[in-house]
Amino acid sequence: MQIERKITLPKIGMSLVLLAMLFFTLMPIVFMISASFMTSRQILRMPFSWIPEGFAWENFTKAIQGNDQTYIFVRNISNSLIVSTTVAVTTVLIASLTGYGLAKFRFRGRTTIFMMIMATMMIPFEAIMIPLYMVIMMLRIQNSYVGLILPFLVSAFGVFQMKQYLTTFPTEFIDAARVDGMGEFGIYLRIVLPNCKPVIATLAILSFRSQWDNLLWPLLVSQSDKMKTIPQYISNFALERSTDEGAMMAAALLASIPMFLLFMSLTKYFIGGSAVYESRKG
Amino acid sequence: MGLKKYRGIERKQARWGFIFVVPSMLFFSLFSFYPIINAIYTSFFDKRALSKAPPKFLGLGNYIRLFDPARAASSLSFYNSLRATLVFTLGTFIPLLILSLMIAVFISNLSSNRTKKFLQISYYCPAILSSVVAATIWMIIFDPRGLGNQWINALLGTPGVDQGWLVDPVMEQVSTMVIYFWKYIGYFVILFITGLASIPPTIYEAATIDGATKWQVFWRITLPLLKPTVVLVSVMAMLQCLKTFSTQYMLYSNGAPRAPINVITFNIYVTGIQQQYLGRASAMSVVLFIMMLLLTLLQFKTTKSENVDY
Repeated sequence: MQIERKITLPKIGMSLVLLAMLFFTLMPIVFMISASFMTSRQILRMPFSWIPEGFAWENFTKAIQGNDQTYIFVRNISNSLIVSTTVAVTTVLIASLTGYGLAKFRFRGRTTIFMMIMATMMIPFEAIMIPLYMVIMMLRIQNSYVGLILPFLVSAFGVFQMKQYLTTFPTEFIDAARVDGMGEFGIYLRIVLPNCKPVIATLAILSFRSQWDNLLWPLLVSQSDKMKTIPQYISNFALERSTDEGAMMAAALLASIPMFLLFMSLTKYFIGGSAVYESRKG
Repeated sequence: MGLKKYRGIERKQARWGFIFVVPSMLFFSLFSFYPIINAIYTSFFDKRALSKAPPKFLGLGNYIRLFDPARAASSLSFYNSLRATLVFTLGTFIPLLILSLMIAVFISNLSSNRTKKFLQISYYCPAILSSVVAATIWMIIFDPRGLGNQWINALLGTPGVDQGWLVDPVMEQVSTMVIYFWKYIGYFVILFITGLASIPPTIYEAATIDGATKWQVFWRITLPLLKPTVVLVSVMAMLQCLKTFSTQYMLYSNGAPRAPINVITFNIYVTGIQQQYLGRASAMSVVLFIMMLLLTLLQFKTTKSENVDY
């Protein structure tokens, strides 16, 4: 009896903490979903009731139509999709190419180049955005996809991840392909790339998400409504519809759907992807 | 003869390796090294975006202005930004670190793998939402008539009191911390779970056989062995917090007062982009860069001496 009690009491405490945290993390998401079907009056009623009375579908039409009925939401979310996808693709391609070059070839300056690339991890984007903004102005590529994408073509972290992964890649495969007369670029494309799917998935997700969440750079680059991205859309919408909470939540929910779908289908890589940071300590 | 040919192949391969690296080298030179050098250079000038005249050389003038004690009292000074950033960073990363470690240990103690996985995924959910969406949701919760007040008042037994989540200078800072904490807690829990999983179970078994209690096991074994992860996670969390921008931007553009949440990145944005003082904003960028550089170097130093082999 006594032993049982000794074990259960701390266990109850632990479960309570875990449950409280579960409530804290999920409550705002449930709130967003449920509030997106409510009228503003319902959302701010005291006490709050979680079940919507009927469905206020007009929230969603308002969210898509935008402040001035221009349906710019569609354009803005497409912009985000285009930018995020492009960045994911270029990051994977350039990082894997560089990682392969650094992991499997011996040439002079290899270590120095690797150290230099790693050193750029210490330069935060927030510290170089002003010079980058001046470059964009000079090249006159504000309000363009090129301007939105250019500073994020590849990441030092991506190069690091790829290099670590490819160092353990069996060299015999590569040598065998060489003996068969395959060209060096062909080896990269047909032997190396298809064999690092897990790390590609992780890296692609990380890069996609970092752009999907990026507000600061589009704020500098995109002044015209047509070239704005979805974080800017939400920000503007929340500002101009500040009294229409239902529509705000509908817009927030719509803007989150692509990431939710990605998360649902690739949970393993999301969770694994954050754990990859662990390898940095080694 | 054969040797010579072999060397030729080696050199040819070496050339390919170099070619593979060239795109990255170009990219990082143009979009990392050049901008940071440019930021340092520009920080010595009175450069403005709209003026056509060549910028005036100020020497350390921009830095002297930033750290001018006479300006310290002004509510939008750089001192205030340093304070706001420091308060936000400490107020966010300490709870993040302690709670994520605690929850990770609790989760690893659970027996059902299903529950473990379910909890990890649920805690991670907020991280999927973008910072702008996170701020929007919480802004409604923090509305005077919103859930935040309703629950706090129910908890404290003070019906009808407005806590001023987005208005009161102190509460406003607390609100940004809550939003940030909410978004990143799951991410750090997973980092710690990975760290815990790398400690071999045989060590725990040995300790239990020797009669150690769970509490002792945590303080004497888990925590010391987890130290590299703790250092890594805390530096990462601090670096993340130093770069915060979206949350503060959202609260400010929806009417919250600016001074309490005028963190360095936000100050750079307002000074450089909205007010077009590029030189002054560059000086702030350089200060931010140096702060983060020191933190990263500290991390390298501590992790190098702390590597544990099992």
